[in-house]
Amino acid sequence: MNEVKAVIADDEAPLRQSLRARLSEVWPELIICGEAKNGKEALAIVEQHRPHFAFLDIKMPGLTGMEVAERIEGACRVVFVTAYDEYAVDAFEKEAVDYLLKPVTKERLEKTVKRLKQELQTGSTLPAEILHRLMVRLSREEGSGRMQYIRVQHGDGVRLVPVDEVIYFKAEDKYTTVITREGESLIRKSIKELTEELDPEKFWQIHRGTIVNVKSIARVSRSLTGKGVVRLKDRSETLTISNRYMHRFKQM
Amino acid sequence: MHRIMEFRLDKKRFLTSLALTAVFNTIIALFLTHLGFGSGLGINFIFSQSIGLCMCTFILAGHYFVRRPSIPYHAILLLIAMPAGAVAGAFIGAHIAGIPFSEIIRGRPAFFIQILFIGILFGTIITYFFFSRERIFQTEAQLQQEQIKSLTLEKETLETHLKLLQAQIEPHFLFNTLSTILSLLESEPERGKAMLEDLTRYLRASLSRTRGKMTTLAQELDLVRAYLDIYKVRMGQRLYYTIDVPNTLREAPFPPMLVQPLVENAIRHGLEHKVEGGEILVKVQDHANGFRLIVADTGSGLVEDSVTGFGLANVRERLEALYDGKARLILEDNQPSGLKVTMEIPHE
Repeated sequence: MNEVKAVIADDEAPLRQSLRARLSEVWPELIICGEAKNGKEALAIVEQHRPHFAFLDIKMPGLTGMEVAERIEGACRVVFVTAYDEYAVDAFEKEAVDYLLKPVTKERLEKTVKRLKQELQTGSTLPAEILHRLMVRLSREEGSGRMQYIRVQHGDGVRLVPVDEVIYFKAEDKYTTVITREGESLIRKSIKELTEELDPEKFWQIHRGTIVNVKSIARVSRSLTGKGVVRLKDRSETLTISNRYMHRFKQM
Repeated sequence: MHRIMEFRLDKKRFLTSLALTAVFNTIIALFLTHLGFGSGLGINFIFSQSIGLCMCTFILAGHYFVRRPSIPYHAILLLIAMPAGAVAGAFIGAHIAGIPFSEIIRGRPAFFIQILFIGILFGTIITYFFFSRERIFQTEAQLQQEQIKSLTLEKETLETHLKLLQAQIEPHFLFNTLSTILSLLESEPERGKAMLEDLTRYLRASLSRTRGKMTTLAQELDLVRAYLDIYKVRMGQRLYYTIDVPNTLREAPFPPMLVQPLVENAIRHGLEHKVEGGEILVKVQDHANGFRLIVADTGSGLVEDSVTGFGLANVRERLEALYDGKARLILEDNQPSGLKVTMEIPHE
């Protein structure tokens, strides 16, 4: 049999050394053709040495283990390595993807190596669609995907204002005014973009050019002409609700 | 939700008020007829209804225009609405009953004044009834609000407590650290031991303390130092840190677990992704009526226009609750790269 090669990628040196040591106990013939301390190095080693296996830590600077797996496009068999991570482990189990948990135990490594040796004959790799599903699953756990902060100019610098503190957004010519308790500032985002990025439970569009933070509504009434009017908690001005958006208030 | 329903509630209140008034009017008509007043139940009923309903409408109209009336406004409203309602009601009543209004005024002025007097008398009694009824409603609503508020507060306290516990011993952090220690114990036992000591220091600092409402700045920064030392071993050359606190502020009271999330954030969202790593600076300085705590990193910063998945909401909420809105958390771009978080804490 040809010599079997593997690459180990982990940003922490002690962990690379320990995995290497464990592997040499469990699979002495395996040649470690390279150690990578970040995703980019891992990619370079894979391209240069074409190893059979890649042990990839998931959290790495540069490129994550997942991203490396995606870029090598099945060039080698991937085994993910991760510390405690409910979501990742859950995802790996569901997709039947090989993974090792840190700290890596000898027993677990033996089991994995046994399977890898078997698969060496069949030459199976991680199918792209499974990898894609994994990435989607993991990125979903990263955050809600909703905008939480908004960048505004403040004096010489740029501040990040939590969207929770925004009272309302108002469309201007090219810009949008952000009104908070502390004042007003302009941002480049349009009302349309904002409606897509803000949490629709917390921010309601009430007019073509207005999005209001539901939390800041003091009350809603009707003007003499029958138009819906929003009164705000910390501001004296009122906002008009156009008929198109009035249904949200009628439901309540 | 309450605030949005107010409009509909007004409409409902308007109708129930009128309905109740109509019932009272009927009773008044029966009562007056029984006393032998006026010219029969029919006429009494017509006058009583029209006067009563007019008064009621006038008062409600007054309430419609001023939602949160002051007491003088109320007094003036009643002084105008009741006589006006009585006159208008008498006019309408006369019209319905088919008696020319001018005939009543000219022919029987005493009777007219009697009508007004009785109208205003009963009007006052009924208005008083409505007022007390309204006050009971409002007190109950207020009580309910208070209860909801205290329950929400209780729930939030519990949640914060849980979140704090989770933040202290975040499983991912713990297992990663343990793996590193285990591997070091094989290859470099001395460093492994040192790291185990750091972890112990960190866990003791975050757990053994009763974790009451306040600790000191020095204690919190010790915890942060232990935390950063652990990361220092894990990230090696990729992490440098400086903690700078003036001696005068070391013993300043400070709530637990407010700095650690900022530092954690600087690592997780700033330095961890960066191949070359970077620096973290924790700096405390005097400021206006208190002090300022700055956590700045030279990491990847916040490059996108909108930032998501950032774990500082919890810190912000706690600051708000602990300092009653007097503390601030400011996020800025750090120069030349990274993020700078400034916490402004007032002296108490």
